[in-house]
Amino acid sequence: MRTFLTMLGIIIGITSVILLMSLGQSAQDYILAQVQGIGSNLIIINPTASSSSSKFQPPSAVLGVIIKTLRDNDIAALKREPAISAVAAEVRGISRAVYGNNDTAVTYVGVNTDFITAVNITTSRGVWFDQNDIDSLNHVALIGKNVAKNLFGSADPIGKSIRIKNLPFQVIGLLSTNKGSLFAGDLSDVVIMPSSVAQKQLQGIDYYSVFIVKYNDRYDLNFVKSRITEVLMTDHGITDPNKADFQISTQDDLLSILGNITSILSIFLTSIAAISLVVGGIGIMNIMLVSVIERTKEIGLRKAVGATNSDIRLQFLCESVILTFFGGAIGIALGAGLSYLAYVVVNKFGGIVWSFALPLNAVLLAVIVSSFIGLVFGIYPAGKAAKKNPIEALHYE
Amino acid sequence: MIIVKDLVKNYVDDGTVTAALAGVTFTINDGEFVAIMGPSGSGKSTLLNVLSFLDRPTSGEYSFNGKEIEELNDQDLARVRNKQMGFVFQSFNLLSRATVYDNVEMPLLYEAGIPVSKRKALVEKAIASVGLTEKIAAEAGSLSGGQKQRVAIARALVNSPAVIFADEPTGNLDSASGAQVMQILSDLHRAGHTVILVTHETYTAEFSNRIIRLRDGRLESDAPVAKQRDGAGQFFK
Repeated sequence: MRTFLTMLGIIIGITSVILLMSLGQSAQDYILAQVQGIGSNLIIINPTASSSSSKFQPPSAVLGVIIKTLRDNDIAALKREPAISAVAAEVRGISRAVYGNNDTAVTYVGVNTDFITAVNITTSRGVWFDQNDIDSLNHVALIGKNVAKNLFGSADPIGKSIRIKNLPFQVIGLLSTNKGSLFAGDLSDVVIMPSSVAQKQLQGIDYYSVFIVKYNDRYDLNFVKSRITEVLMTDHGITDPNKADFQISTQDDLLSILGNITSILSIFLTSIAAISLVVGGIGIMNIMLVSVIERTKEIGLRKAVGATNSDIRLQFLCESVILTFFGGAIGIALGAGLSYLAYVVVNKFGGIVWSFALPLNAVLLAVIVSSFIGLVFGIYPAGKAAKKNPIEALHYE
Repeated sequence: MIIVKDLVKNYVDDGTVTAALAGVTFTINDGEFVAIMGPSGSGKSTLLNVLSFLDRPTSGEYSFNGKEIEELNDQDLARVRNKQMGFVFQSFNLLSRATVYDNVEMPLLYEAGIPVSKRKALVEKAIASVGLTEKIAAEAGSLSGGQKQRVAIARALVNSPAVIFADEPTGNLDSASGAQVMQILSDLHRAGHTVILVTHETYTAEFSNRIIRLRDGRLESDAPVAKQRDGAGQFFK
């Protein structure tokens, strides 16, 4: 029992480290899947404040600046480029959707028809709207599963009319998956409608918040980026590239930024967890010191029968390392178990596709770190044991 | 052979020097059974500690089988203790939660190069020689006092030492167990081992063939057991 309690600090520390590294990896995998899920050969264009010297800057909305430069004429200009096959555009807002006595908070996303082809969003039932619906400002909508559940319960929503900002929308389809949610948000609470309706009738604007450009495989990415830059700068009347009022980023850029963010978060959280390992190590040292005192007679006996100081030091160091090694092994098993539990719970109740990941480097790191802690925190007690005088030790009571 | 000449051992405590041994000289030949006797504080335990290489003398000469103690470092002393000495203590000094086998095996763990199979054979032979084969897998803590001391003797024997040092080996035993232990030590002596026994009991000293008496750190007498009896065969106190 005391051995287990001695190991507890290490067990908790390693469990935390493994759990955080495992969840961190799962989060990275999730983000990767999300970004890849929106389709391939995509370039994202965000409006942004001009004259920035940094490569990446946040979209203008984040800075509280409304940039109105992404418009229909930009879409038309971009689509004239042979390298570009589609220019998806969206505008979004938050409102409440009402059906009868039921209402629910939704994110409405106005999109053009290219959005449907460029971004991988599918329907479980119903149909998408077409260009005619956009041109005619038809009030049609596709809704996410939470919206359907909150407004209609178990009833079939297709063909029924919901109200958003007092405007009626006929439900023509149900969104099926969360893929592409990087742009559409959590699709469960989303209502997708023609961009023209969202712009003109819900927000009273004529610009978009983001473009997603799909380009042909046979063109080089950098060439396409340079063409987009040239077209938009010409369209916006800008000559100095440093004053561009848009920012071009690719899936790789996004993956890199998001990967960096999750890595930094993982390292930060793992570092905090590692503090508990130090506390665990101090616990090990404490118990080993008690053990040295309790086993004084044994130390004296071992020296009497021929053990050298090095033999005694090695024995106590080995015991310390074995303790922390097994503590680490239990911690790895517990951490992996909790991560797997999170995987089961998130998949079952969270409504998102979450993978279970146990990085090999995390396991190796845990084994090495736990053994190293045993070594470091075992040195002092082992040294004390080795220095004991055999005669005094033999007569210790 | 053990040769001791003008052996002095002083202890210093808070600047006060106490002479535990104040110039002791004697020789013990191979195969002798020597009892060291004397009242409390006479220096017999100190002498045993020095003779068994657990402690170093302050001055004087000590030669163990041709090795001068002053020429040996701590590692050498440990090696000699491991290969040429066996220890039996008054309080047994067994690892109570370890088995009889593990206790007896201990000295062999510090001797490099013994194959596992040979180690096993040596341990089993030592345990058999003290009549505890049936207890080989028992926890040492579960044994009686006499059995524990027999395990300690097996441990002292396992590396076939030249000399066995026994410090009050019957001090914690009833008379029947004590007699059994002394009989085993006597048998070991007959088998060729040198036995050096520290005791204050005349009964156990009678198993030896020579008694060295100490008083106040000095040699009071050194004579064969036969010369320590009066005309009626009673032991001199």
